[in-house]
Amino acid sequence: MTTPMNQYALNVNGSQHTVVAESDTPLLYVLRDDLQLNGAKFGCGLGQCGACTVMVGADAVLSCLMPVSSVGKRPVKTVEGLGTVQRPGVLQQAFIDEQAAQCGYCIAGMIMRAEALLEAVPAPSDEQIRSHMALNLCRCGTHMRILRAVRKASNKMAGKA
Amino acid sequence: MLLACTWRPAIAPLAQAGPAAFDPALVRRGANLATLGLCANCHTTQQSAPFAGGLAIATPFGTVYSTNITPDRDTGIGAWSEQAFARAMKDGVGRDGSHLYPAFPYDHYTRLAPDDVRALYAFMMTRDPVRAPARANDLTFPLGLRPLLAGWKLLFLDHDAAPADAARPPDWNRGAYIAAALGHCAACHSPRNALGAVDQRQFLGGGEAEGWYAPALNAKSPSPIAWTRESLTDYLRTGIAAEHAMAGGPMQAVTASLAQADPADVRALATYIVTLMGKPDARIEARARDAAAHPVVLQPAPAGNNPAAQQLQLGARVYQDACARCHASGRTGSSGGALQLPAAVAVYDPDPRSLIHIVRDGIPPGPAEPGRWMPGFANILSTEQITALAAYLRHSAAQQAPWPDLAKQVAAANQDTASK
Repeated sequence: MTTPMNQYALNVNGSQHTVVAESDTPLLYVLRDDLQLNGAKFGCGLGQCGACTVMVGADAVLSCLMPVSSVGKRPVKTVEGLGTVQRPGVLQQAFIDEQAAQCGYCIAGMIMRAEALLEAVPAPSDEQIRSHMALNLCRCGTHMRILRAVRKASNKMAGKA
Repeated sequence: MLLACTWRPAIAPLAQAGPAAFDPALVRRGANLATLGLCANCHTTQQSAPFAGGLAIATPFGTVYSTNITPDRDTGIGAWSEQAFARAMKDGVGRDGSHLYPAFPYDHYTRLAPDDVRALYAFMMTRDPVRAPARANDLTFPLGLRPLLAGWKLLFLDHDAAPADAARPPDWNRGAYIAAALGHCAACHSPRNALGAVDQRQFLGGGEAEGWYAPALNAKSPSPIAWTRESLTDYLRTGIAAEHAMAGGPMQAVTASLAQADPADVRALATYIVTLMGKPDARIEARARDAAAHPVVLQPAPAGNNPAAQQLQLGARVYQDACARCHASGRTGSSGGALQLPAAVAVYDPDPRSLIHIVRDGIPPGPAEPGRWMPGFANILSTEQITALAAYLRHSAAQQAPWPDLAKQVAAANQDTASK
């Protein structure tokens, strides 16, 4: 069966884009190949590692699984939308402060999953952070630093630090 | 008279703390029985020490918390004599004489052979004692009154032995005993009556567990392809049966426990269950086998502008865009590793609950297992898309009559997630 080429209007990090793609193209490929947003990574392509996590609407979503045809009008936010090298976002700065990246491959996904949590739950408990982040994997083993970074960002956003 | 029925005496605590001496062979036998009996599935939680309890079990009558069954003297069963343990297992009465709620499946364990109760006692009493007080149950009035359970037991606690048939081979009889007594399969796989008791007239006729449909294991089995002793043994030991299903929801913990049991016992269980199932409809089986062998395309959605046809067309697009990459073999170099949906039991179930759960939540790998299961699509697909997908799979993969309450069931699954 052939999948038709279609035009899709996407709102990514506040900007409007039009892409031409087959309907089953994963959002991840569109972000990386068409929009040159290379923060989100291809890890497993099977929704099992979380390296491709971005936000769609209010949810953290595995962009390798999400067909571009399913995005609809929901806004997409990637790690590039949180800040710049000169002016990192709160979570990005917390990850730098805690030196939470080792090889860094999982980090964009980790940050976006954490962002979805902090937007929905401003002061999560440690238990909430752990269970929310559980799906994303880090093969370097920097989980404890990642948890500290999320905690730090959460405190900062709550004005506690 | 009523008082005489409801009142049960306390059994004196053991005089001494600390583990008694048990024959190691008896303890090992008890360990196997505990995996077949799924003890840890309720009495161990992710947070708790082994067998220390605390799992919240939602029932139609409120929430019951599993208890600490380690040999801790104050908060576990360390002061329980073997007599007290046996009475709990077979009559549902605690050492202090109080009636236990049948969330603890004594209505099944009552069929246990005395030797097996002894072995389970030896196993439990040699675990590490853990101090963990039981949480108070949260039941709707008046069910918090334990003496009422005596009436429930008069009606529903059936002490009959497990089914046995001298004309059948020993492993069939062993399987029948495991299913009825230890494995308590009927607790989920049979319908329950209004008072929460297993309906014995519809034994293994399909039930529910944690919002999933627990398929019928008798002649009503929804599987389009006949289960064999081999395929069912594989499923029960690994959670995967290539031609049928992958264990999801509460069944994942069951297969994880059975994976640790004596393989001969699991095989016996499968031997017994497949004889209950009978044969699927020959026409449906032939079609499912054929479709599963050539699943590059499912039957297309019907043309037309009416709402039903449009829903099926949307479902077909969702299938094509989100599912076919793994579920349709031959589509790309790496596709087709996943279950072929014309063979998948869940699309033939009498209601869509399990399919909705699988699509929304996926099937996560067990603790410390590599990721090899199915990801969830709850945040990826909209409610409308999930509903349409389920309608399409029912129509094209199973080719069965539409599920009547599909939209309502998808909405209920949304609610369930929102409340967690």
